[in-house]
Amino acid sequence: MLDNYFPVLLFILVGVAAGVAPLVLGRLLGPHRPDSAKLSPYECGFEAFENARMKFDVRYYLVAILFILFDLEIAFLFPWAIVLKEIGTFGFVSMMVFLAILVVGFIYEWMKGALEWE
Amino acid sequence: MTETLVFYLFAAMTVLAALRVITARNPVQAALFLVLAFCSMAGIWLLLEAEFLAMTLILVYVGAVMVLFLFVVMMLDIDLEQLREGFWRWFPFGILLAAVMVGEMFWVLGNRLTAESGLSTVVQHAADYSNTKELGRLIYTDYVYPFELAAVLLLIAIVAAIALTLRRRKGTKTQVVSQQIAVKREDRVRLVSMPAESKIGSAKKQER
Amino acid sequence: MMELLQTIEQTGQGLLGPLWLPLWTLIKIVVVVAPIMGSVAYLTLAERKILGFMQVRPGPNRVGYWGLLQPLADGIKLLLKEIIIPSSSNKFLFISAPVLALAPALAAWAVVPFGDGMQVSNLNAGLLYILAMTSLGVYGIIIAGWASNSKYAFLGALRSAAQIVSYELAMGFALVSVLLVAQSMNLGDIVRGQQGNYGLFGWYFIPLFPVFVVYFIAGVAETNRAPFDLAEDEATIVAGFHTEYSGMGFALFFLAEYANMILIAALASVMFLGGWLNPFHGWPVLGGLTDWVPGLLWMLGKMSVMLFLFLWFRATFPRYRYDQLMRLGWKVFIPLTLVWVVVIAAWMQTPFWLW
Repeated sequence: MLDNYFPVLLFILVGVAAGVAPLVLGRLLGPHRPDSAKLSPYECGFEAFENARMKFDVRYYLVAILFILFDLEIAFLFPWAIVLKEIGTFGFVSMMVFLAILVVGFIYEWMKGALEWE
Repeated sequence: MTETLVFYLFAAMTVLAALRVITARNPVQAALFLVLAFCSMAGIWLLLEAEFLAMTLILVYVGAVMVLFLFVVMMLDIDLEQLREGFWRWFPFGILLAAVMVGEMFWVLGNRLTAESGLSTVVQHAADYSNTKELGRLIYTDYVYPFELAAVLLLIAIVAAIALTLRRRKGTKTQVVSQQIAVKREDRVRLVSMPAESKIGSAKKQER
Repeated sequence: MMELLQTIEQTGQGLLGPLWLPLWTLIKIVVVVAPIMGSVAYLTLAERKILGFMQVRPGPNRVGYWGLLQPLADGIKLLLKEIIIPSSSNKFLFISAPVLALAPALAAWAVVPFGDGMQVSNLNAGLLYILAMTSLGVYGIIIAGWASNSKYAFLGALRSAAQIVSYELAMGFALVSVLLVAQSMNLGDIVRGQQGNYGLFGWYFIPLFPVFVVYFIAGVAETNRAPFDLAEDEATIVAGFHTEYSGMGFALFFLAEYANMILIAALASVMFLGGWLNPFHGWPVLGGLTDWVPGLLWMLGKMSVMLFLFLWFRATFPRYRYDQLMRLGWKVFIPLTLVWVVVIAAWMQTPFWLW
C-alpha cells in the first residue's frame, strides 16, 4: 500500500517546485526598483488610514464552525458509503439514525437564522 | 530502509513544527506551524497504513479546524504583552498539567509498548488493501452505539455554536437591503427652486 | 504501446537499479504536469476567444496566427514584470501564499486516471485524497489576503474562504453519493464500475443527475469562477485576495485557478461521465464505428466539454450577490445532496437497483 503513496509524495514535491521555480525566475528576470509609493498597499490612491487587519462579522466564524461540524459528518459518511453493500440493512439504518440526529441540528440552524446572510 | 528514513523525516518535522507552535511570537505563524505539524503527523499515520485517518486528519483538522483557528487568530489583534503577563504565575500549574497528561499517555500506551506484540510491529498489507473499508465494516455495525453518540455530540456542538455566536452585537455595520430598495426620491433628493439670477438675464436681453 | 513501456521499464531497471523507480515516477509526473501547464495557457486563450465570439468580437488575434501565440506572450510578460512585495506585508507568507495555492492544485492530479491504468498513482483512497488536497487550496487564499495587509485583499480572502468552505460541503456530500454507487474510492474502479454494454446509459450521471449538477456548480464556486467570482469582484474589492500581487506571484494564482478548473472538469468526467469509456460502446452501429478511439481521447473530449461549460457560464450569467451565494450553498445544495444520498442508499436496499 505504501508503494502507492511514494509517487504522491513526489508529486507534492513537484507541485511545490512548480510554484517556487517561477517565483525565483521572475525575481531574477524582472526588474527590481522599489519605491515607497509602489510598495504601499493599494487603497485606490488614498493614504491608508487604518490597519487593514480589522475585526469582521461574527458570521464568518459561524460559517467556519458549521463547516467543521458538517465536514466531520462527511468524514463519517465516506467509509459507510463504500461498504454499504457489505453491511446491509443494519448499516443503512444506523446511518439513517445518525443523519436524523444531525438533520435536527440542521433544522435548528435553519430556524434560528444561522444560515441567513444579510 | 526508505520507510525508516521517511519516518524520521516526518517525525523531526512534527517535533520542530510543534516547538515553533509554542515559541513563535506571531500567533498566525504559530497557527501555520500547527498546520505543518498536522501534515507531517498525517505522513506518519500513513506510514502506519492508517490511510483513512491520515486523510481525515488533513481533511478535517487542516482543511477545516485550522481554517477557523486562522480566522480567529488573524482578526483578533491579540495583545502579546497582555498574554505574557501572567506567564510565571501560571507556570507551575502548566507544568503540573503537562506532567499529568504525559502520565496518562504512559498509562494508556505503556502496557502495550512493553508487551512484545501490539505497537512495535506494523502489519504490511497488499496494495489493494483498503483501510477505509475495514473501518467501515466495523463502525456502523460493531461500534454503532459510540457512532450514534458521535452524532449526538455533533448535534450539541451545532446548538452550542449557534447559541454562542449568533447574537446581535452593538456597533456592527450592516445594510438593510429592504430599506435601501424602499427608498423614494423624496427621501434623498431635495428640489430647491431658485429664482434665476437677474444680472445674466438682463445682459441677455440687452444683447437682443 | 504497452510492450514498449515494459521494455523501457526493464532496461531502466537494469541500468539504474533502485534509482530507477524515483526517476520513472518523476518522468510520469512531468508527463502529467507539463500538459496541464500547457492546457492552462491555452485555456486562457480559449476563454478569451470563446467569450469574444459570444460577445460578437474577434478576441485576441494579433500575436501569431489567430492569436495562437497570445498565451506565450502573456507568460513572458508576466515573467519579466517586477515582483512587488508591499512594505507593510508579512514578506515570507506573502511569497509562500501563491506556492500554497498552486501545490495542492497540482498534487491532486496524482490520482486522476486519463485512461485504463494511465495514472501516476493508483491510490485506493483516491477520492479522499483529492478532497483532502482541494481542502488545502483555501490556505493560499487566506494567507495571501492576510499577508498583503491591504483591505481589499483581506476582504477578498474572507469572502473567498467562506465561499469555498461552504461549497466544499456540497461537494463532499456529492462525492459520498458517487461512492455509494461505485462502492469504491479508487478513481479507476469508479470508471470501471460505469462500464457496461449500454454505453452512456451505464454512466453514473443518470442515477445521480441532481448530484452531477450540484457537483459541477459547486465546482464552479470552488474555483471562484463567474458567476461566483465574488472574491475578485472588481467593482467592490478591486481584485480580491490577489490585489497586491504582481508578475509571477499573480501568475501562480492564475495557474492554480485554471489547474483547479481543469481538475473539476476531469473529476466530473471520471465520476459521472464514464472517464475514458466510449459513450457508444455496445450500441448497434455507432459502437462498432467508435470503439477504435483510444480512451485518452474520450477523456480529453469530456473534459473539454465540461471546460466549455465553465466559459459559457462566465459569458451568460451575471455575478451572484453574497447572500444569494450563501443561500444557494447552504439552503439548496447541502439539503439536496443529503436527500439524494439517502435516496440512493435506500434505493440500493431494494432489488430495483440497476447500476
